[in-house]
Amino acid sequence: MRRSKPDRPRRTECDGYHGEHLVILSEADAQAITQKILALSKADSCIVTLGGSEERHVRFAQNMATTNGSPSSLDVSVESHFGKKSGSAAGTDLSDGALAALVAASENTAKLAPENPEFMPPIGPQKYPAPSAFSPATQAATSAMLAAAIQPVLQQAQAKDLQASGFLNVGTSFSSFANSKGLFVYEQASDVLHTITARTPDGTGSGWAGTTHNDFSKLDVAALGAVAIDKAVRSQKPVRLEPGKYTVILEPSAVSDLIGILVGEEFDQRSADEGRNFATKKGGGSRLGENVFGKNVTIFSDPNDPLVPGSIYSDDGLPAQRTVWIDGGVLKNLQCGRYWAQKTKRAPVPGPTSLTMTGGTTSTADMIKQTKRGLLITRFWYIREVDPQTVLLTGLTRDGVFLIENGEITKSAFNFRFNESPVAMLNKVLALGPSVRAYGEESIGIPTAVPTLLVDEFTLSSVSDAV
Amino acid sequence: MPSTLFLGMRNAAAIEAADKLDLTGKLHLADVALDAAKAAGASYADLRLCRYQSEYLEAREHRLEQSSSGVNAGFAVRVLLDGTWGYASSPLATEDEVQRTTQLAIEVAKASQPLQLRKFVLEDVPVYHDRWDMPMKTDPFQVPVDEKIAKMLAINEAALKAGADYATIAFAFVREEKFFASSVGSRITQTRVRIMPETEVTVVDKATGKFASRAGLAPPRGSGYDYILGYDFIGEAAKAAEQAREKLKAKPVEPGSYDLVLDPSNLWLTVHESVGHPTELDRALGWEANFAGTTFCTPDKLGKLKYGSTLMNVIADRSQEGGLSTVGYDDDGVRSVGTEFPIIKDGIFVNYQTAIGQAQLIGQERSNGCAFADSWDSFPIQRMPNVSLQPNPKTCSLHDLLADVKRGIYIVGNGSWSIDQQRHNFQFGGQLFYEIKNGKLGGMLRDVAYQGSTVEFWNSMDGIGDKSTYFLGGAPNCGKGQPEQTAPVSHGAVPARFRHVAVLNTERKDIS
Repeated sequence: MRRSKPDRPRRTECDGYHGEHLVILSEADAQAITQKILALSKADSCIVTLGGSEERHVRFAQNMATTNGSPSSLDVSVESHFGKKSGSAAGTDLSDGALAALVAASENTAKLAPENPEFMPPIGPQKYPAPSAFSPATQAATSAMLAAAIQPVLQQAQAKDLQASGFLNVGTSFSSFANSKGLFVYEQASDVLHTITARTPDGTGSGWAGTTHNDFSKLDVAALGAVAIDKAVRSQKPVRLEPGKYTVILEPSAVSDLIGILVGEEFDQRSADEGRNFATKKGGGSRLGENVFGKNVTIFSDPNDPLVPGSIYSDDGLPAQRTVWIDGGVLKNLQCGRYWAQKTKRAPVPGPTSLTMTGGTTSTADMIKQTKRGLLITRFWYIREVDPQTVLLTGLTRDGVFLIENGEITKSAFNFRFNESPVAMLNKVLALGPSVRAYGEESIGIPTAVPTLLVDEFTLSSVSDAV
Repeated sequence: MPSTLFLGMRNAAAIEAADKLDLTGKLHLADVALDAAKAAGASYADLRLCRYQSEYLEAREHRLEQSSSGVNAGFAVRVLLDGTWGYASSPLATEDEVQRTTQLAIEVAKASQPLQLRKFVLEDVPVYHDRWDMPMKTDPFQVPVDEKIAKMLAINEAALKAGADYATIAFAFVREEKFFASSVGSRITQTRVRIMPETEVTVVDKATGKFASRAGLAPPRGSGYDYILGYDFIGEAAKAAEQAREKLKAKPVEPGSYDLVLDPSNLWLTVHESVGHPTELDRALGWEANFAGTTFCTPDKLGKLKYGSTLMNVIADRSQEGGLSTVGYDDDGVRSVGTEFPIIKDGIFVNYQTAIGQAQLIGQERSNGCAFADSWDSFPIQRMPNVSLQPNPKTCSLHDLLADVKRGIYIVGNGSWSIDQQRHNFQFGGQLFYEIKNGKLGGMLRDVAYQGSTVEFWNSMDGIGDKSTYFLGGAPNCGKGQPEQTAPVSHGAVPARFRHVAVLNTERKDIS
């Protein structure tokens, strides 16, 4: 069982068949539907959201295509308020009758709800950053283009007697958020995800590469394939090492998983103030402003970061904003909803729509050179929280662990289970590489850029026989 | 970007009609899709028209935080064209859109053909014309929402009265309606309902900055609202608050090797991760290598591998009352109800779970009915039926299992869980941990997690409870596939005793 994740934006463009983008509503169309719903509303206030996506993907395994597809979706939701009572209803049908039924359902639900003393009325119109996450090249990508990008990689894998498996997905989505106070925000976004695993037929070697992008034309499918293939070859016949505390070089995928879980899921002001969070201060309150992490750690969100452009709006329709979460090791911000912000007399801090960890200048080669004995880790798998008090996480390494001895990679190693906290890890960062766009299997669903990290004393608690 | 919404609006009447499709309308759309696929040269095609009605309620302490309902409807067309799969989906169930979507599925398959090193070949699947409805007493969608909310707030109140500082509760209800039509001739309509309760209480010691939580033990079920009415949520909430308080003062576990007695509220998830997933044929074939992973259960081990002790019998079924995987037919149109099969028999690995197009690759005739798509816009892939550890045919109580333990730990409920991509190395936590000393339960322990390797672990099992101790656990969100799909699945289990298992202390004293 794995944690379910937020849906990725989805899209598809028709090649061969000249259809229309039925579910990608224009701003004018989204506004028209929104107005129609608002006109139907009899509630004191009302929130309307719309979303749609079109997607195309090629999935492959054992060097061949498996389940290739082109799904699409369309969603509309209405949240109605009577005083401090709220109720919402969602659907996939934009016909007049369906919209009227949706409004009625949300109003009936609201009327039956008890008053919520923490109810916050909708906000008025806001200023938003300009959206920058849409790519025409991604929208124009066809299934044939996806297959053409993958085919040479599969041929190379076959030529080297390897088995390649993976997933290449392109999507376009739209979303809008509006309310009866006159707020309306609309954006389109593009999303590309590519991951590839190459394995040796004897099952002793496995390599992986993967990332996300907005622009399909800038995704280097061949280069990612080459990394996975190279790692599969080099990871064959691993040696079994003792578990323990190791100096590790964590590649960006591994870092993005740990940072995403920490900032995306644990950085919460209210739970810290309530005494149930890693950022809780003994005796009450939170550790905001304290040096909780190492001085070389800075993490921020910026919806217009060119490396990882994010959505322009966040919770409750609040504008996504540049937010520094950790600045030189100091805990600067925790996510804070509007009610808790009002109660504690601070400004709301909406959740991130992208995440960036500031990088450094140390190359991976230099990190290897300065490591007497350590491990290079490609990525992690099946990460779960063991203790929320310390954000202790467990999970496993996967698809390429390499032993470093006296400044050189000497062997491939068996995978390990780790039991480590990103809070502890970010106090033991010895060097940082440049920040790059990265993807891990535990992605929290927002674009993330992180560096490769050289980390001291990373706890690996047992060895896994899995390859 | 062309303005396309109004195409939808022009078809508003048709769309409204589609939402209220009767069987005649569905059969007509099936003919449209399957005829178009056949005309385009597909050797196989199917259409799934689905409608998911949902309700989600969430409360915190004395306050309702969310009350929402929804209907999510649409269809997918899947085609096999010259041995290559293609599929496409749409939320607009009109005749024109079914035509367009079928052409899109064909186009996807054609575009992917250069990558088709080996053609997919499907076995013959029997033809069914049938309707299957999950039996239930009380439809949760007929229960007034205010009645449900009142119940939830009463449960939180019980927890707070018993000393919890915080209490959260969520009830989720889903009605899944699927219409399946395939080019082999099947036409199948099915309806089932899922109920997913979630509760948690938390206590805080502000002076020390420590806190502890206790999650509820009520599993999700394929049941009517009678399940909610029949479960003692109030009693459990009060007990949970006391137990969370006790956790704060519990003795830290000393790491080492222990005999474990695992309550079925803990063991069902171990069954899921270390038996359910390793015995999925698509993993063994390498089809999940890039994401969910492969498995140590390679086909050469079928019928040979001593997976566990001779007490270990694991059955796959689609018939168990309350099971989240209980259904008449799978999403390949293969009959599944009443077709249980053993996965582990007397400790030996004897069967994989399969979907169509797989079994013949290991020399077997046909699918055993384990395909599932989590939505109308997903491709059906092999997913778990109810996979359950069978009770001891001889009388054996929890007390009997504890009696033969000198130094051990009894673990109740699920905590964190993690297992490697080939399903060897696992680590599981729990909700409650009790010391066992000389056959008797002692005080509560904290910071416990157990690690093991699947085959070694199951071979260390030397005692299991009888049928009176059987418990049906489950999860609504098992993840697999790309794009990722989440499947609901149930697992029956009985308490069981395992010898010499590695136990960790998970406290990190270096993090203040």
